[in-house]
Amino acid sequence: MIKQKDLRPKDLGRPDEQLIKVESLMKLKPPYNEEGMEPPFTEPKQAWREKYCASLDGFVGIDKLTRPESKEQEQEFVRKFLNGLEKAFTDANSGVLQPFLLSFEYCAKCNTCSDACHIYKATNGNELYRPIFRSEALRKIVKKYFTKSGKLLGGLVGADLEVNWETVARLGELAYRCNLCRRCAQTCPLGLDNSLFAKEIRKIFSQEMGIAPSPLHEKGTMNQLKTGSSTGITKPVFLDTIEFLEEDIEERYGLKIKFPIDKKGADILLMHNAGEFLAWPENPIAFAILFEEAGLDWTLSSEMLGYDNVNYGIWYDDAQAKKIALQQMKVAKDLGVRRIVIGECGHAHKASAVVADRMAYGEDKVPVESCLPLLWDLVKSKALKFDPSKNNFPVTLHDPCNVVRQMGIVQPQRKILKQICPDFREMTPHGVNNYCCGGGSGFAIMNSMNFSEFRNKISARTKFNQILGAFQDTIEEADIPKYVCAPCSNCKGTIRDILEYYRVTEKFNVHYGGLVELMVNALVSMNKPFLEFLE
Amino acid sequence: MALSVLAYAAIILFLGLSAYKAYRYAKMPLHGRMELYPVPKEQGHEYGGSYYEQVEWWNKERKVDHKAELIDMLKEMLFIKKLFDNQKPLWWLSYALHLGIYLLIAWTVLLVLGGLTLLAGGQVSPGSGIWGTLLFYLTAFTGLIGLLLAAFGSAMLLLRRFFDDTLRKYTTPQEYFNLVLLYGATCTGIFVWIKDLTFGTAREVVANLMSFTSFEASGLLVAHIVILFVMFIYIPLSKMSHYVGKYFSFHKVLWENEPNLKGSAIEKKVQQALARRPATTWSAPHITGQAPAKE
Repeated sequence: MIKQKDLRPKDLGRPDEQLIKVESLMKLKPPYNEEGMEPPFTEPKQAWREKYCASLDGFVGIDKLTRPESKEQEQEFVRKFLNGLEKAFTDANSGVLQPFLLSFEYCAKCNTCSDACHIYKATNGNELYRPIFRSEALRKIVKKYFTKSGKLLGGLVGADLEVNWETVARLGELAYRCNLCRRCAQTCPLGLDNSLFAKEIRKIFSQEMGIAPSPLHEKGTMNQLKTGSSTGITKPVFLDTIEFLEEDIEERYGLKIKFPIDKKGADILLMHNAGEFLAWPENPIAFAILFEEAGLDWTLSSEMLGYDNVNYGIWYDDAQAKKIALQQMKVAKDLGVRRIVIGECGHAHKASAVVADRMAYGEDKVPVESCLPLLWDLVKSKALKFDPSKNNFPVTLHDPCNVVRQMGIVQPQRKILKQICPDFREMTPHGVNNYCCGGGSGFAIMNSMNFSEFRNKISARTKFNQILGAFQDTIEEADIPKYVCAPCSNCKGTIRDILEYYRVTEKFNVHYGGLVELMVNALVSMNKPFLEFLE
Repeated sequence: MALSVLAYAAIILFLGLSAYKAYRYAKMPLHGRMELYPVPKEQGHEYGGSYYEQVEWWNKERKVDHKAELIDMLKEMLFIKKLFDNQKPLWWLSYALHLGIYLLIAWTVLLVLGGLTLLAGGQVSPGSGIWGTLLFYLTAFTGLIGLLLAAFGSAMLLLRRFFDDTLRKYTTPQEYFNLVLLYGATCTGIFVWIKDLTFGTAREVVANLMSFTSFEASGLLVAHIVILFVMFIYIPLSKMSHYVGKYFSFHKVLWENEPNLKGSAIEKKVQQALARRPATTWSAPHITGQAPAKE
């Protein structure tokens, strides 16, 4: 094992059982600065080391990356990776070629990006998580195998990384130590993007080698294309779930609401992350209450992929992303709706509105918009009546990276909160300068082996500190409920896990949820609290 | 004579190779959208907002603030603002080098103008009329400050890279060479021109180079000119050509958020891009449609 501060990109292929160990972590804010408040790291099991690649930092993110049983398998693995790497610079990768080449060619290695990275920051500057570490390792391999200067001059131009199974596997794991939040790219003086390297490595693994974490691929995009949803919910199950939600609304709140399903020619096709129906049904319920009270002409779809807005493909596989995006567009087209409104799911916002924007043209496209401006419009136009005193407890807002930094939707959600939450306070920093929740790019749903420990203790650490920071004045007053508003399913999942892992809800009465739940809670028309913790 | 040929060749190659590099990037296929906010041309760019903040944004008039974009671009080009905002200690050194280079570019232009003035029979000296006097003082100012700043900046960046443990890990010999080359060119310049800080000699040399006139050159002058011209040819071939890359990374990637609306120019490009079939394809089973091998 190498001391992390001595680690260099060329060490990636060293035969150590584990390259580095995370020993130092950023100090948490009170009361988590006290000894014993944070669960310690656990040791990876020997069986994991033998079967998977735990040799990077002791964590295993890719459950489909197994060790070879023969020399031939090992060589085949390396060969396939190199094939894929070569393809990354060809027209097979035309959708990203220009940005990738720019970032590949021009990095001045000034390290400005390091301080912007929440993972690097959370580990007190662990060399392995420095944004340019991964990029430089990949650059060295490309130079060594695919450039004349690298073949001729070797180490003089940086082509000095030994490529073996361990190198490639570690690089694959390292691609899943970046949340693809692109905060580093915001600070680069040359406008370059280190997250692209992580994404391209993930793509080579998936698109060429057929290796991707099963929560993203098998149980994610493949499942979605087969059943209609990454949750595995089929059309009959979806329709049953909706029926159950309608009963629940009537039983709990005495409201008779019929979810419009497959309504042809509706103004709005509302697309939720299907995970909401299972994990946070109060979110689609809240949307239905708001939309019905405002008298909007809306519908849900029960068609394949129409009831699940997720698109995990954008994190690891362009081909999967495209298949899903085009099918989702087709659902809207066939329904004849005027617009698609994306519910509270950050990556679905980006996937549908930005990534898929250039996957089709003309009549095949239906305009896509975020739910946030629409919700603000309902507040601003007074289509809904609120009593802010119902939300009289500290509320802070987590900004999903895909919504703010990657789409520029910053104000609508804040304007709503300022209207309906008298004790709203911002995190520091926020808006386009926010920190990722730590669950971005798939981490929120990756729980194989000990990966959730990486998420809870490392990638979500900076966000946890921001949450603690926002509630410093009342954190230890357990009788005061506090609410983290996270208008994104993946962010909510990550924040749920942080609050459980550090026992924050239990000890300090900190809760989490979406934006629409707060809105419904403040509705004058509601005769009882919508948020369960207020009951 | 040979130096004149080299001078013209170096300048032509510098411009040609830089233009070729820009052409290569410009000709790359349309990529997916990868904008990153704040995008300066957007309304609400002060806080990072975009057209997506509007309900039914596609029905709204698209307001693009080119002035704000230009201002942001100039701040970045002239002052390296992102580095100033995010890593001030490095900015002082990097900006010294870059400002030095900008001044040296201005100095070169002034030397060429001075050379042309001399060739046309004019004078460049104090009291030789407005044109000659202006050229004289501006050349002296830009040359002296430019050489000092560029030499200081390149030397300090080199030393920082060498003595900083982190930077050293990531710096290849080639990257040290880049800085040594910059330092060598500016340092030999200082030694050559220090005897005549009015740069009258430099102006004469430039006039001789432009007119293919033979002139007596010391070993040091020849070394300086050769290093300078090698640098001119090498820059566009190396990552020091980031003056090309930076345009594309900002304008064509981070700030490019043109929506693919019906009837738009971008729609035509999308149509063409989607019609193109790639010569190379990926091989994973879920892409080729083959069943994966059993584990």
